[in-house]
Amino acid sequence: MDDSRERVQTIFRDLFEDDELILRDSMTAHDVEGWDSLAHINLIIAIESELGIRFAAAEISGLKEPSQNVGTFLELIRSKLRGTAAQ
Amino acid sequence: MMNVPMNPDEVIEAYLQADRAAGSVQFSSFMQALKKIGLRDGGELARVYAARAMSPRMSYSSTLALRRWLLPARGKCSAGQPLRLAILGGSTLTQLVQLVEAFLVAEGIAAEIFEADYGVYRQEILSPGSSLDAFKPQIVFLATGFGDISKLPTPGMSRDEVARLAVDEIAGWSLLWEAANRRWNATIIQNNFEMTAAGVFGHYALRHPAARENYLDRLNRMFAEIAPSYVVLHDARGLAADIGSKHWFDPRFYFEAKMPCGAESLVTYAHSCVSLIRAMVGKSKKVLVLDLDNTLWGGQVGDVGAGGVRLGQGSAEGEAFLAFQQHVKQLRDRGIVLAVCSKNDEEKAREPFLAREDMVLGLTDISCFVANWRNKADNLRDIASRLDLGLDSFVFFDDNPVERALVRRLAPMVSVPDVPEDPAGYIAALAQNRYFEAVSFTKEDENRARYYTENASRREMDAQATDIESFLASLNMHARVETINVMNIERSAQLINKSNQFNLTTRRYTLPELRSMAQSGDWHTLTISLRDQFGDNGLISVILLQRQADTLLIDTWVMSCRVLQRGVEQFAYNQIVRLARSVGASRIRGTYIPTAKNSMVQNHYADLGFEPDGVDGQSTYWLLELRESLTPLATHIEPELING
Repeated sequence: MDDSRERVQTIFRDLFEDDELILRDSMTAHDVEGWDSLAHINLIIAIESELGIRFAAAEISGLKEPSQNVGTFLELIRSKLRGTAAQ
Repeated sequence: MMNVPMNPDEVIEAYLQADRAAGSVQFSSFMQALKKIGLRDGGELARVYAARAMSPRMSYSSTLALRRWLLPARGKCSAGQPLRLAILGGSTLTQLVQLVEAFLVAEGIAAEIFEADYGVYRQEILSPGSSLDAFKPQIVFLATGFGDISKLPTPGMSRDEVARLAVDEIAGWSLLWEAANRRWNATIIQNNFEMTAAGVFGHYALRHPAARENYLDRLNRMFAEIAPSYVVLHDARGLAADIGSKHWFDPRFYFEAKMPCGAESLVTYAHSCVSLIRAMVGKSKKVLVLDLDNTLWGGQVGDVGAGGVRLGQGSAEGEAFLAFQQHVKQLRDRGIVLAVCSKNDEEKAREPFLAREDMVLGLTDISCFVANWRNKADNLRDIASRLDLGLDSFVFFDDNPVERALVRRLAPMVSVPDVPEDPAGYIAALAQNRYFEAVSFTKEDENRARYYTENASRREMDAQATDIESFLASLNMHARVETINVMNIERSAQLINKSNQFNLTTRRYTLPELRSMAQSGDWHTLTISLRDQFGDNGLISVILLQRQADTLLIDTWVMSCRVLQRGVEQFAYNQIVRLARSVGASRIRGTYIPTAKNSMVQNHYADLGFEPDGVDGQSTYWLLELRESLTPLATHIEPELING
């Protein structure tokens, strides 16, 4: 498992209080108990502070759209981490 | 630093004992340990620990993580009916409510919280039969802001039109306050208006009545002037300014979820609001207990005397201590009771107060003055009983992380703020905790500190013993024992020539003298360096011994006062005995030569089990026969490496 996936999984586990939670790319908010709009904000905040990245306004709301899932979310995070590393 | 495996309780204690940013235990390890303890005993102990871990400087995510452990304690934390608190406003308040709830539990204030639906606070307050009406709040917190202003002036408005608009605006708010007070006899907490995004007039806003910054200032001023006494103003503007308006507000989360401010600001916001509620229910802190050396002045008065401590103009550090004293003095004038708790001889501790013109604090400002060599948790209990005030109303401010850890562990009801190494940061370190919030100020407040004078309430020393042994064990102390060598000779010389208090003979030696002792067959040298869970204390003790026939003479024994009462004396004694046996000596002889500054060690040898062995003028001599039956003294210090 790559590093960012593991770190994000830890954040999910802490936030949704489920130590067995495994992140799969096909997952959406419907698959995780408690992933409502408030939890979504908390998730964004936790990932930003834990990974030191920053989402744009459109990205925060875009993640709730039907075409999005954990896979696209992780891809977005990886691209931001690459951006931070390149600086 | 230490790789000793720790059980969950030790992890928890280590985390809680340390300053939040500086501890060797990470928050994540603390949370794992908390979980283990929670599963073990059903959560009651975990709740207590989680409450102690709450801090306004924690991140949003960490605070919410702690909250999960705190919540079942609602309604359980204090006797009597829970406080009924309603939080209303024009933005999303769910996160604020959650954080307020967590800080209330941490403060031991039982509360039931009503969260109004988004943006309907006017109807909730004004309509009979609303769900708020059914809740009958005792406190109504109007967590409102810029977005809740009903109408903003336009640039074309005349001065008079803007003034009328402001009067109408304020009338709308007064209506809400009056209704809440009339219907439920509620106290209102009212946010003033924070300055967030940039206005369009730039500096000219100061002169243009219709400019937003100018108008918000006007409304804030009017709030302060006309709000009746049942309205407590919450300075959201000051809060945002303190954080910095660019950091306070996060437009992304406002646009996405109508959050009133950024996530990290929300923690500060909730804590600030709870500090006000704490003041409203009479639980603000009343007493500030201060250390002296390196807290009120730089240096140790016992070593350098009143004239030698660093204070006042002439150096940045001296000015920083001066500024801190001025801040403390203002707290005293506001009615906060001051006490001193210092490891010093009492007479020496008082000297700077009497002899230094530049001291801002005087002895009359200190309601209870305790300077001795006992542990500070016991001293705090003693101060509490002398002042007849509860330890839960105490704040303890000390530059030494080990003293802070000791008090956090042995007197957990005392509030112990993190203290930075740099005295320039002391005021901020104290102020950010909002210990001393007030909702009124009266003549009694002004005079309160005077009521608590030492003479008025001198009580017997409270000899309640605390569990000092387990505290010392938790410090994880390791000592390195070495002879004087090229690496440590300069520090050894410095300690020998600078120590005045823990110094049995006050004999001074130059570097060449020490060098020849270290090489001589008649002399033996011991140095001790100590590290603990808070870091490395460096070389803190030097002992010079001279072999005379079958006797080992302790010529010099010095130790840094910073490590007093940690068992270093006993540890050193064990090392001396070991050394004496290894060189075939059959007895050890010690000397105490009294000076004006070393009375703290006058019973040193007696305490270690030496027998009196004569007197010569002021000096006393002490003897220890190295019998077979002599056993090492117990300490909590692990010896690390011995080449002595």
